[in-house]
This record gives sequence, structure tokens and C-alpha cells, in this order.
Amino acid sequence: MARLLTKTESDGTPYIRPPGVETQIDEASKLSLADLRGRLLITDRAAPRHLRSECLVHLVREGRRSCDQARMNVVLPILLGRCEANLRVTVADGAIPDAANLRQQILDDLTELFVMDGSGDFPDELDFYECKFNKAFRALRIDAVRRAVRRSKRSIDVAEMPELEVKSMPDAFEDAFAKVSEAFRVLPTQEWDAYREPFLQAIEALPPDEREAVMLVHVLGYKEESEDPEEETAATRCNCTGRTIRNRLTRAAAKLSRFKEDL
Amino acid sequence: MSQTLNASPRALREAFYALSTAQDIPDAKLLDDLVRQYPQFGAELTEFAVAIAVDSLRGDRIIEAAEAAIDPNVVSPAVSRAMSHFQNRLHAVTTGAAQETSARANVSDAPNPFSGLSRTEFRGLAGRLNANAVFVGKLRDRQIDPDTMTSGFRKRVADELTAPLNAVVAHFAGRQPIPTGQYFKAEGKPSIGAQQSFEEAVRNSGLTEEQQRFLLGL
Repeated sequence: MARLLTKTESDGTPYIRPPGVETQIDEASKLSLADLRGRLLITDRAAPRHLRSECLVHLVREGRRSCDQARMNVVLPILLGRCEANLRVTVADGAIPDAANLRQQILDDLTELFVMDGSGDFPDELDFYECKFNKAFRALRIDAVRRAVRRSKRSIDVAEMPELEVKSMPDAFEDAFAKVSEAFRVLPTQEWDAYREPFLQAIEALPPDEREAVMLVHVLGYKEESEDPEEETAATRCNCTGRTIRNRLTRAAAKLSRFKEDL
Repeated sequence: MSQTLNASPRALREAFYALSTAQDIPDAKLLDDLVRQYPQFGAELTEFAVAIAVDSLRGDRIIEAAEAAIDPNVVSPAVSRAMSHFQNRLHAVTTGAAQETSARANVSDAPNPFSGLSRTEFRGLAGRLNANAVFVGKLRDRQIDPDTMTSGFRKRVADELTAPLNAVVAHFAGRQPIPTGQYFKAEGKPSIGAQQSFEEAVRNSGLTEEQQRFLLGL
């Protein structure tokens, strides 16, 4: 059985790997290096013998603990290769300044987690990666991008959306926002794939304050404002008035309304 | 989270992981819970939740397809560099190499805070520092001995770059970059040049008397 994780939830409950990951770890830990190499050649996530990234993280951590250089050298490049493939999509050239260097920095950051595993100010940080690798890596990536954008003092460079006239204002706005919410509900469908890129561009092209208002109200589900001073709303989250939120939503809707017929 | 430059504080990193791993797309309840746990990071968590929601628009399918297309027999240059970074850092940590050496090796790999500047921003920075592009180029390329810089000057650079002071100090303390091109016009292989003292750099960058006085007085 794999070593227990030490990271705990806020209520003290220890983190537990998904059962499928535990099973894979038990199996992969017994493989010879040659057999492990063979398994690592499988890149299709749907293939039954494919080793999940959570399992690879565990193998590298165990290699680090036992100073097993050979195992680390076999497993870590495969894991990094998967991350690089991910980054080529999520931190694409042209979408952010100096994307290639940022991708490299994120890969280096990930390796640093293995170097500092069990020590430093966050010794069990990799426990997140043994439970939900892709979502943990998403956090690492978004944090790195967030800081890089802040450093460069530039917004993410996306295609400019033309200003569009909204003919019947209230109806068009409601329709645009209904489509935003709907877009998130139909994410996994093939139908969505056709609209994904233009919709993503439209959302990213919004000024940050408008994007934030749209996401908080129409995706995260916040009210614009509330008379109850205790209730968290989009206005309290953005530290502004409800009227400001509504103005931002109105401006955003005008820009997004072109998608009301496409989606 | 990021270790190489201006890592977020541990509590914030932990909150980011919690926000990202709890659900595919965060909702108001999750964000409210986390902001209650980490009230000092309310703005960062809100920004992060919005970023996750936008990011989720991509869906997993495109990333899965990119992973499936990898040739596992080929190690890309980026992965090779990351492995090299890993091995160097691991060696430094496990052999207990002098802390200063380790830190120096680390920061030399850190992103250059000047590298993200466009030409206009680069000139703008030179203007705000009351210097010129030649002098700022020396800062960017680590041609100035960091031990000879005044703390006031370092702080001014950090302020004008809107970068954390420790990141700027780490940049100045790093190794000078070596040209990595495969072909060279010179007879010999390129090598790192000697660093100038801060005063030498100020005197030899074509700055006016007034600019020199200003910079040396920081």
C-alpha cells in the first residue's frame, strides 16, 4: 500500500488518493524499470494500461525519498512531457507575452516541488498532485500566469472584439448572459467544441473588471448586490457598488451579444 | 507555488490549490468558504476563481488530445532543460552545497524581470530611472557587480519595474547569461565578460552629468 498522504483538509480530514490511483501505484511500484518504461510509452489516457499523472508523481516522490535516480530519470521526463503538452495549449504562443519562457518557468517550478518535497515551507504540497494532478497543475499554472501578467503589467493579448450595437437592449443582454451560463453547462459536449475558441476569445477580450462581473454573476452564481449586509455578492467580492456591477455587466453584454445566435 | 520568482505565500498557494481541486468550476459557496478561511487573500482568491472559470472554457478534451499526441520516446528541449534544472537543484540540496551557491544557481535560472519589457517599456523604464537604454541594458544583462550597487538604487529599480525587491536583487546576483548560439563569428567561444562596478557603469554609459549625479546619489 502506498504511503499515506499528510496533507489535511481544513477540518483535519487527511487527503486520500482516488482508489484508481492507489491501485495503479500498488501495481506500478512493483514493476521493473524496463516494464515501467513500457507502461510509460502509453500516452492515451483512455488506454487501460496508461499510468495516470497522479501515479507518476508518487513514483518520482518515492524515487526522491529513496535516492533512486534511475526511477526519477525514467518517470519525471514523461510527466514533464505531459505538462509541456498541456502548457502548449493553455499558455499558447501569442496568447501571453514571452509564453515560451513562462512555460519553461512553470516546468521548472514543478521540478522544484519535487526537489523541496518534504522540506521547506510547504512540505506536503505534492499531495495535491497525487490526488488530482490536472487540477493541482492548473493552480500552479494559473498562479504563474497571473504573476507573469502582473509583472509585465499587460493584459493577456487577445483578439480585439469589435464593438457591436445592441438593438433591443434588455432582451439582447439577457440573451447574451443566458448563453454565457449555458456555455458552462454544455462544456463537455461536441457541440461546444465548435464554439469554444471564439467564445473563450470573447470572454478573454473583455476588460478584467467586466470579465470578473460576468463570471461572478453568471458562472459562480453571485447576486449582483443584496440588501443584506452579511450576504456576499458580486459587489462585495469586487469591492464596489451594485450599480457598478450592473454597468460592467451591461458593457460586457454588449460585447458578448454577438454570440447569442452562435451558441 | 512558483519557486523561481516571487513565490506566492504558502497560505495563498494552499488556498489556490483548494479552489482549483475542489470542483471543475468554482461556485460562490466554495469561494465564500475559502475567503472566510483566508480573509487576507479575498481579492486574490476572487481573481483566481474567475481565472479558473475562464480557463475551464477550454475543456479537457483539447489537453487530452495534446497529451495523446506526445512521442514518449522524444525528450523535448524544454523538458530537457527542466530535467537539468531538477538535477542541479537536487544536487545542490542533497549535497548541502553552500547555501549561497545554491541560491545563486537558482536565481540564475529565474526569469529576468527585464525580459518581459517591450522596447517602449524598456525606454520608459530608462526614462523613469533618469538613465538611458545603454545603462538599463547593463542592468538587464547583469553587467554590473551587484555588491557595488546601493540599496537605494536597487529599491528604485524594483519600484520602477513594479517587481518585488528580492526578485530584482536575485536577478542582479545571478550569473551573467552566456550566448548560447551554435555559431560564432569570433574565433573563440563566447565567454562571460567582467562585471563593471556600479560607478563605472554609470560613468561609462553616455549619461549626462546630471543623470550620473542622480544615480550615484540614490
